[in-house]
Amino acid sequence: MNDSAPSLSPLIHLVDDDAAVREGLSLLIATVGLRVQAWADPQAFLAGFDRASIGAIVLDVRMPGTSGLAVLEQLQARGADQPVILLTGHGTVDMCRRAFKAGAAEFLEKPVHDEVLIEALQNAVRQHVRSRERHQADQQARERHAQLSAREREVLGLIVEGLTNKEIGRALALSPRTVETHRANLFAKLGVDSLAQLIRRYAALVE
Amino acid sequence: MDKAWHRRTTAALACILAAAGGAGWLAHTRLQQLQADFETDARIVHRLLSQRVVQHDAILSTLALLQPPAPREGEADAALPRLPAVYPQILDVLRRPAGGAWPAATPALAAAEAASRASGHAALAQPDLAAGRYHLVLASTPASYALHIDLHASVPREEWPMDRATSPVRVTLEHAGQTFTIQSGHIPAHGWTYGFRKTLAAPSQPLDVVALRTVGWSELPWLAMLAWCAFTAAATVAAQALWRQRVARRRAEELLRLGQVARLNTLGELAAGMAHELNQPLTALLSGTQAAQRLLGDDPPDLETARTAMARAVEQARRASDVVGRLRRLVERPDLAGQAQPLPLATAVHDALHLLEPECRAHAVLPEVTVEPGLPAVQAEPVALQQIVHNLVMNALQALEQVPAAERRLELQLTAPTPGQVQLTVRDHGPGIAPEARTRLFEPFYTTRAGGLGLGLPLCESLAQAMGASLQLAPGNGRGAAFVLRLPAATPAP
Repeated sequence: MNDSAPSLSPLIHLVDDDAAVREGLSLLIATVGLRVQAWADPQAFLAGFDRASIGAIVLDVRMPGTSGLAVLEQLQARGADQPVILLTGHGTVDMCRRAFKAGAAEFLEKPVHDEVLIEALQNAVRQHVRSRERHQADQQARERHAQLSAREREVLGLIVEGLTNKEIGRALALSPRTVETHRANLFAKLGVDSLAQLIRRYAALVE
Repeated sequence: MDKAWHRRTTAALACILAAAGGAGWLAHTRLQQLQADFETDARIVHRLLSQRVVQHDAILSTLALLQPPAPREGEADAALPRLPAVYPQILDVLRRPAGGAWPAATPALAAAEAASRASGHAALAQPDLAAGRYHLVLASTPASYALHIDLHASVPREEWPMDRATSPVRVTLEHAGQTFTIQSGHIPAHGWTYGFRKTLAAPSQPLDVVALRTVGWSELPWLAMLAWCAFTAAATVAAQALWRQRVARRRAEELLRLGQVARLNTLGELAAGMAHELNQPLTALLSGTQAAQRLLGDDPPDLETARTAMARAVEQARRASDVVGRLRRLVERPDLAGQAQPLPLATAVHDALHLLEPECRAHAVLPEVTVEPGLPAVQAEPVALQQIVHNLVMNALQALEQVPAAERRLELQLTAPTPGQVQLTVRDHGPGIAPEARTRLFEPFYTTRAGGLGLGLPLCESLAQAMGASLQLAPGNGRGAAFVLRLPAATPAP
């Protein structure tokens, strides 16, 4: 479970073409203990940012060359899972709609209040961490499920349906003892200790 | 280009069609009228001539019945010689006594008598239609009689339906290839020909009445046709002109609207640019100071970083103020006072109202302008002055939208309350201005209208001040609002 968990504090990517804005916001974000990596050029950011990092992305909408909305769309296209917070000097309803449609987590107006920005960032980071954990758990569950034999999968399906060992034996024409063995094996392979754990983690994987 | 050409061609075609159609209809109507007249005349002629020749039959029958003897020398009251005197068409009465021969001893008379005896009615003998003469023989016993008839005298002149000298109709009597011309008429070489042929209603005298009428080209109603064509052409030209005028007007309206949209777009772009230019330093400034606040609140406070943050914040505040300064210089107006010139205020007001005429009409408002006599000229920049008047009148019209059309009044008064000043008062009878709004009216971006920018009155005020004039809201509460523009009077040229 600890194989790829980030050992460092969350990293915020800040993309804004204005140096003063980068400095001010970086300082502000750093005061709550988040790490900040500031980017002046959207293309350099897209090419160079650490995809695996836990954290969030803050994008200015109005930038020369590539607008924040375009960067957001490219991030989505590349499958980046970091939540994105957009900042704009003058938000129109249309722009706001486009931003949320493209998957923005937040849409804030400049100049932004510290509390608003920090709360949005912390929410985003929490959300990202949760989604990564969920993703990892899913990943692990899938891998373990794949190790089951065909018979064990059948037994798992019937357990999830709520059948007793005896009933499973009847359904699969096996002796209750054999069913018991399969059951013990699949509990061990899936790394669960109780029926409740088994149902919670693996019910979704049973076809 | 192509469309205009197409439209013009269509119009020309329609014009030609209408002209030709109308003219053709006129000609057709005239021809029909002439044909109807001709046929009526021909029928009358046939009836008249038939009556005459039937008379001949009656005379012969009477003679056959009475059997008057042939006149002898000295018997003046014999019946036979008296007949030509009573009937001018009868040249002579012949008698063939029983067993005797015809006086003229013509074989034709004898043959006709034989024919008459066979048919039971009188028969023609020796017709000489070219000369207009024929004999009519009735076989009877003991004596047979014959009349020598002159066709010239048979034509009833008094009852004749046409003027025989001038009528264009040719009327002839025809029999066996011979023709007697009653009236020669005028037959042109080309035209529309109508014919009439009917045998006289007397079996004894089977002469054909033939009438011929040719309507020549010259008889068509050329004047009326020409007038119609001219009328059609004029109507087409007028319609074209009207259409062009409408197009031009619509284009002008469209351009005006486009101009307004373009101006709004420019304004929106300016506002967006300004927002960005100001928001960047403000964002840096706000985040820097707030970060400093947080750093100072830490225990222990990070004084060094906080100091740096504050120094940067100061820089950003300067940067924001530079942006504002740049913007001001960008939109700064040239010196209006320097361009002021003497001009009559009444003319400027009139020009502005002329431009706003469509709006006034749309709002059902008729501006009432009163001008104090002997008003001096004012010292003003013409465009700025017109802009002020324009804005004031537009505001008044928009205020009047909120009251019923019948109560809408807009007054413009031009007076000279003090020497050296000319005053324009624009007074509307709208709902008036709320007390809390009165003090804020001239603040930029303050507006009571949804969608209003709140720049109209501030602009007017600054334009007025730049010209050395003043713009104020006249005191007063309740219904209506009056704005007073005071302009310096032009000093008379030395």
